[in-house]
Amino acid sequence: MTPVLGSISLSLGLGLAAISIFLFSVFLQKADYRFFVGGWRAAVLVSALSILATFLLLNELLASNFDIRYVAHYTSLETPTIYKVTALWAGQSGSLLFWLFILSVYTLIVLFKYRNSYTSLMPWVIIVLVIVQAFFLILVNFVENPFSPTDADFVVANGNGLNPLLQNLTMAIHPPTLYLGYVGFTIPFAFAIAALITKDTGSVWIRSIRRWTLIAWLFQSAGVILGGWWAYQELGWGGYWAWDPVENASFMPWLTGTAFLHSIIIQEKKGMLKTWNMILILLTFTLCIFGTFLTRSGVMSSVHSFAVSDLGPVFLGFIALILVVCTVLILVRLPILKSEKRIESFTSRESGFLFNNVIFLVICFAVFWGTIFPVLSEAVRGEKITVGAPFFNQVNVPIGLLLLLFTGIGPLLAWRRTSNQAFVRNFTLPILTGLIVFIACFILGIRNTTLVSFPLVGFVLTAILTEFQRGIRSRTSRFNESIFVALKTLISKNRSRYGGYIVHLGIVFMFIGFSGNAFDSELEFALKKGEVKEFDGYNFELVSIQTVERPNHMAWIAALNVWNIQHQLVTRLFPEKRVYFHRDPNPDKRQPHSELDIHTTLNKDIYSIFSGIDTEQQIAYLKIMINPLVWWVWFGGYVLVFGTLISLWPAKD
Amino acid sequence: MNQKKIIIAVITLSFLAFAWIGYVTLNPNQDNPGMVRFLSLTEIHTVDQTERIRLGGLVSPGTIHVSEQNLLECNFHLQQGDHTVQVYFTGTRPDLFKDEAEVIVEGNYVNGTFKADQLQTKCASRYEGDLRDESSYNTESI
Repeated sequence: MTPVLGSISLSLGLGLAAISIFLFSVFLQKADYRFFVGGWRAAVLVSALSILATFLLLNELLASNFDIRYVAHYTSLETPTIYKVTALWAGQSGSLLFWLFILSVYTLIVLFKYRNSYTSLMPWVIIVLVIVQAFFLILVNFVENPFSPTDADFVVANGNGLNPLLQNLTMAIHPPTLYLGYVGFTIPFAFAIAALITKDTGSVWIRSIRRWTLIAWLFQSAGVILGGWWAYQELGWGGYWAWDPVENASFMPWLTGTAFLHSIIIQEKKGMLKTWNMILILLTFTLCIFGTFLTRSGVMSSVHSFAVSDLGPVFLGFIALILVVCTVLILVRLPILKSEKRIESFTSRESGFLFNNVIFLVICFAVFWGTIFPVLSEAVRGEKITVGAPFFNQVNVPIGLLLLLFTGIGPLLAWRRTSNQAFVRNFTLPILTGLIVFIACFILGIRNTTLVSFPLVGFVLTAILTEFQRGIRSRTSRFNESIFVALKTLISKNRSRYGGYIVHLGIVFMFIGFSGNAFDSELEFALKKGEVKEFDGYNFELVSIQTVERPNHMAWIAALNVWNIQHQLVTRLFPEKRVYFHRDPNPDKRQPHSELDIHTTLNKDIYSIFSGIDTEQQIAYLKIMINPLVWWVWFGGYVLVFGTLISLWPAKD
Repeated sequence: MNQKKIIIAVITLSFLAFAWIGYVTLNPNQDNPGMVRFLSLTEIHTVDQTERIRLGGLVSPGTIHVSEQNLLECNFHLQQGDHTVQVYFTGTRPDLFKDEAEVIVEGNYVNGTFKADQLQTKCASRYEGDLRDESSYNTESI
C-alpha cells in the first residue's frame, strides 16, 4: 500500500507544480492577488508531498519491504538500522528523491519566511524553485522511480545489503551535508533570475541572498571536507583527495560559489561587478546540477557512479535549458547591469577581489578541463585516456599557491586605493615573516613545494593576525577595554568581516595540511606473528591476529605494537580485515573489506591497512603510511566552519 | 584609465593561466604522468616501453601465481576476448582480485609482458547487479 502512496504523492506533486506555475503566470498577467495565494498554496503542497514521499520510502527501508526494488537493492535484513536510513541516499533513485526532499525543505522555508514581506521578486523566486522541483519530480516519476517494484519473478526474501564501504558513520553525515550545499545554491540562483526578470538588479536581491549563499557555502565546504575525511578513514589508499570526477564535481561549484561570496561584497558596497555576479551564481547553480549529473549518470566511472542509466540526456537537456535561458536573460539585461563605479587602482581591495575571483575561476576551469578531458578525447580522437591526480596536482598546485598569496594580500588592501604609507605599514611584518620562514626552510634542507608553501603560510598567517591585532589595539586605546573584551566586541560588531578572517585562518591551516603531502612515505610488507619490521623511524611488531564474528561480518584483527627508535611504545594499532556476507554459501558473494586504523598526532599520522591474510601461516600483509600534517586539514575544516558560523550569526540590532 | 589597465591585467593573467593548463595537458610529467592512455590488447604492441599505459580485462581463471619469496609479488594472465597478456604486479592485491575478476592495470609493456604497479578491481557487482540473478538471494521460489 505504502509504495502506491509514494508513487501517488510524486505524481500529484508534479501535477501541482504545473498548477502552481500556471497560477503564478496568471497572477503576473492579471495582478489579481488571489492567483498569487493559489500558486503559493500549490507550491507548499508540492514541497509537502515531496517530503511525504521521502518519509514513505524511509519507512519502507526501515520495514525491509523487499517488494520495492530500491529497498531490495540497497538493504538486507542484517543491515543495521542506521544504514537502512542512510540507504535513502545510497542509490540512484533514492538520492534523486533526497535532492528533491532537501530542495522542498528549503523551498518551504523560503515560502513561509517571505510570506508577509511581499516584493515583486517573490513570484519569480517561487516559480524558479518550483521549476527545479518539477525537474526532479519528472526524474523520480518517469526515469528513476524509487517506488518501482522488484522485477524478479520470485519472492525476494532478503535484499542485497549495503556496500560495506558505505557502512561508515561519515556516510550518515557527508552526503546530506553536501546535498544541503548543492541544493542550497538553488535559492540564490532563484533570486538572481527573479532580479533579472523584474529588472530589480540593485542591491535588494544581493542582500536577501547573502545569508542563503553563506549557508549553502557552509554546507558545501563541510560536505567536501567530510568526503575527504571519509575517503581517508575508509578507502585505505592513504589520502583524502584523489581528484575523482565526483570529488571534482563537488569542488567546482564550491570554487565558483566562493568567488561569488567574495564578489557580492563588492556589489553590496560599491555597486560594481553586477554582470559578473549574475554569471557566477548562474555558473554555480549549473555546476551543482552538472555535479549531480556526473554522480548519477554513470558517464564517468568512479567510486560514486551508479549503473549507467537514462538520466544523462534528461540532465543535459535541463543544463542546456538553464544555460540558454540565463544567457539570454543576462544579455537582454546588460544595460541595467552596468557598474555604478569604476575600480580606481591596482592596490585597491576591489582589484584584490577581482584577482581572487579570476584565480578561483581558473582553478575551476582546470578542474573542469581535467574532468571532461577523457570524454572529449574519446569523442574527438577516439582515444581513451584517463586523467589522474598527478595532472590535477601539477596544474593546480601553483595556482593554489597564488590563491593563498592573495588570501594574505586582499584583506591588507584598502578600499579605492592603498596609500604608500599604509602599504609599508601593512605589509612589512607579513613579508618579513615569510622571508624568515623561507630562510628557515632553506637551511633545514627543504627543496620541494613546501619551500614555497610554508613561507606563504607564514605571510598569510601574520597578515590575518595583524588585522586582528590592529582592530584590538584601536579598541583598547580608545575604549580602555581589556584585550579579550576588545576581541569579542570587535568580532560581534563586524561579524562578516572577522568571521571571514577566521575562515581564512582555517584555509591557511588546511594548506599546512596539504603541504604535508610532499613528505608522505609508505611501505607494504608481510609480517609473521612476533616479527618486527622497521620503517621510517618506527618498528612495527605484529603481536597477534584475532578472529571475531560480528552481526554482519567476520573480522581478523591484527594487533600491531608501534615502537620508536628509543624502544618506547608509541601506540597500538588494530587494523582489520573483514569479510561481509561471510555466511553466504556462494564464496563469490562474500565481500572482503579492509578496515584501517590510524594513529593521529599534530605532526604526523601513522596509517595502517591490513590488506591480506594467510590464515595457515598466520601472516598479515600490511601497508603502512606515514602522512605528515594531515591533522591540520581537519582542524582547518573546523576553523572554517566556526568562522562561517560567526559570519552567519545574526547581529544584535 | 586605471580600470583599463586592471582589465588588461586580468585578461593577461587569465591568458597565462590557460597557457599553463594547455602546457601541462600537452607536456605531461614523464615519471608520473597525469594522463594515461587506456589501450586494448590489440594495440599494445605499438607502444613504446617507456610510456605508461592502462589495460582493462578479465583475470584468466587459474593463472594467478603468487611468488613464494615475496608474497606481495604475483603474476597472472589478463584476458580481453581472444587476446591475453602476462601481467607482473607487485603490491597489495585488492580485496576483489580473483579469477575472472574485471581489473584495470597501469604500468609499462616491456618485452612482451606487462609490468604493473597499479591494480584496481571494478566495483563489486553485488550492489548494481540484476535482481534476476537469483543466486544472490536466499530465495523462496514461487
